[in-house]
Amino acid sequence: MIHSATSNTDDLILNVDHVWKMYCRNLKLSMRYGVQDLAREVLGKGRDRTQADLRPGEFCAVKDAHFQVRSGECLAMLGPNGAGKSSMLKLINGLLKPDAGAITIRGSVGAMIELGTGFNPILSGRENVYVNGSILGISKSEIDKRFEEVVEFAELGHVIDTPIMTYSTGMKMRLGFSIGANLRPKLLLIDEVLAVGDVGFRMKCFAHLRKLVEDGVCIILVTHAVGMLSRVATRSIVFDQGSIIHNGDLETGCVVYEETMGASDRISGKSQMPSSTTATGTAIKSTTITNQNGVATREFETGEDILVKIEVQSDSALDDLNLVAALWSPVHGRIASMSTANQNVTFSASADSTIAVTLRFKQVPLLLGAYHFNVSLYGPVPTEFYHRLTGVGNFRIIGPPTCSLGRGINGIVKINHQWKIG
Amino acid sequence: MSINNSTDKVTTYSAQSEICSPHQLLNDIISDTWNGRDLAWRLFLRNVRGMYRQTLLGLFWAFLPPIANTSVWIFLRQQGVFSTGDIGVNATLYILTGMILWQSFSETVQMPLKILNQNRSMISKLRISRESLVMLGLGEVFFNLMIRVLLLLPALLWFGVSLSWVVLWAPLTIVLMVLWGTGIGLLLMPIGTLYQDVGKFLQLALPFWMIITPIIYLASDTFPGILLVWLNPASPLLLFSRDLILLGSSNFWIPAILVGTMAIPMFLLGMIVFRVAIPVLVERMST
Repeated sequence: MIHSATSNTDDLILNVDHVWKMYCRNLKLSMRYGVQDLAREVLGKGRDRTQADLRPGEFCAVKDAHFQVRSGECLAMLGPNGAGKSSMLKLINGLLKPDAGAITIRGSVGAMIELGTGFNPILSGRENVYVNGSILGISKSEIDKRFEEVVEFAELGHVIDTPIMTYSTGMKMRLGFSIGANLRPKLLLIDEVLAVGDVGFRMKCFAHLRKLVEDGVCIILVTHAVGMLSRVATRSIVFDQGSIIHNGDLETGCVVYEETMGASDRISGKSQMPSSTTATGTAIKSTTITNQNGVATREFETGEDILVKIEVQSDSALDDLNLVAALWSPVHGRIASMSTANQNVTFSASADSTIAVTLRFKQVPLLLGAYHFNVSLYGPVPTEFYHRLTGVGNFRIIGPPTCSLGRGINGIVKINHQWKIG
Repeated sequence: MSINNSTDKVTTYSAQSEICSPHQLLNDIISDTWNGRDLAWRLFLRNVRGMYRQTLLGLFWAFLPPIANTSVWIFLRQQGVFSTGDIGVNATLYILTGMILWQSFSETVQMPLKILNQNRSMISKLRISRESLVMLGLGEVFFNLMIRVLLLLPALLWFGVSLSWVVLWAPLTIVLMVLWGTGIGLLLMPIGTLYQDVGKFLQLALPFWMIITPIIYLASDTFPGILLVWLNPASPLLLFSRDLILLGSSNFWIPAILVGTMAIPMFLLGMIVFRVAIPVLVERMST
């Protein structure tokens, strides 16, 4: 770690320069490597290691991460569990050392990684405010000044002098967030701590973060609550298996993130999701997504027509077949389910035949995000199940942009509506 | 890169070991120790308040271990299980003083491993001043020592020990003993955090270590008994401090001066190893 200070100013706060971090999941090997690394540190033999230098049992938690953050930016760090976000945050926070590359930070760093760190359950809320404040690097005089503000923000004035073990989990989280809210660093790191309290309190937290960004505080936010991000984030980075797969605007980042939540492999055809079937020779052969002109594509805008072409193959003659298609979002879960039976559409198969069925969505109301289908094939009754394909027909809605600041549309679907005064 | 051309402090994290810039490393240790004093104090208050708030007997629990230990040894001595030899001072007082000093020494050896385990969650999630944890540990050791000294003072009066002016050196030798023990503990901590064998071995070894330290019996100043003083890192400053308090003079001033002069360098070496080891250990705590 090197510190230096010279003159001049620039709005660059953080520079992550081709950073690598390796871990080992094998406990015994990890301990052995720990001794080797300790010896290297103590003897001053630390050196850059990249993928080529991986030791047996090691994997890259962060691969060649390269990005910058400037003053007044709020960067959302997205990605599935184990993608490398938290490791990146720990590297920026100086908790871990990079194995290669360098991280340069201008100014102070604050972190809200785990709310209420250091709380002693026997002590009162008042005493714990001072303990947690000190842990976060806030001086006693600063806490003295802002104490009433903290208690008011947490809405815990009536219990502040009772032991914290009598608080509910939500109350402890609120108190923890309120203390952290007093941090005024140049760079604030926030890891999954925005699921605090009820909706009203969460809105208050977002409003506070927005105020910080307006005041020039640079925020790096790790969260899975992508629906809330546009309230505060200005840019996004998406991690997948240690690599940055998107570094740019928030909207595209959210779509890319949703795809990584289980759909990206399927979109690129790298793997086929598990299918379930009975022992019969009747199955769903393929599912293809096209636009209204029949051209295969996976990118649409809200309001466009989407056609799902499903091919059913059967080696025996069957009557009254039914299809059920469930539309899923990797983030929000099942959005809608529709069946041929609902519209009194049935079809029959002759021996060794393939039947094409088209499901058409007119002016699809879906908003920005990644989506896919689970398609099931039944006989005349729901108990007569033939085959199911999950995670097929992947597509993404890439526009128009949404807005969660009350100045546009937001959510999963665009509902036709009209405002009227009077 | 333009980030370096700023008026704010610029921090760079890289794969390079901190030890490669020794001057910077010492500066960082000193500044983090200074900046972490408030945190150390807050955590110390938290622990002390939390320790006794849910007890009926409160601070009495701090006095109990040396009283209980001393009572057992006095009982065994009276039963003829062992002999203290001709110590020139009341045996109860001799054993009690030795016990108080030994407990402080053994606490310091175990302290670094203990504070790291107790604050594992905090240290692996937040960038706090790591030196503050050592200060916290030292604070707790000295707090416990002060409480035990409060027990010793009436005992000195009761047994009519007349203190000589050399007793004024005892606080210094005790501080050096604590720093010496902490240094040993800090050097053991990195391996002890990776391999729990070290902690388990310490638990097993400390009672034996106490037996081979002349606490309940008179230290010999002839061969081979003198080896228990010269080869045992716990003995020199412990025996010297006790002799200063109870006898006003000591035969062990040479080993005490030798260990005493090594105590501060040992502590600083321990602090350096502690600091450079933490990122490696945090990595193993979080995966």
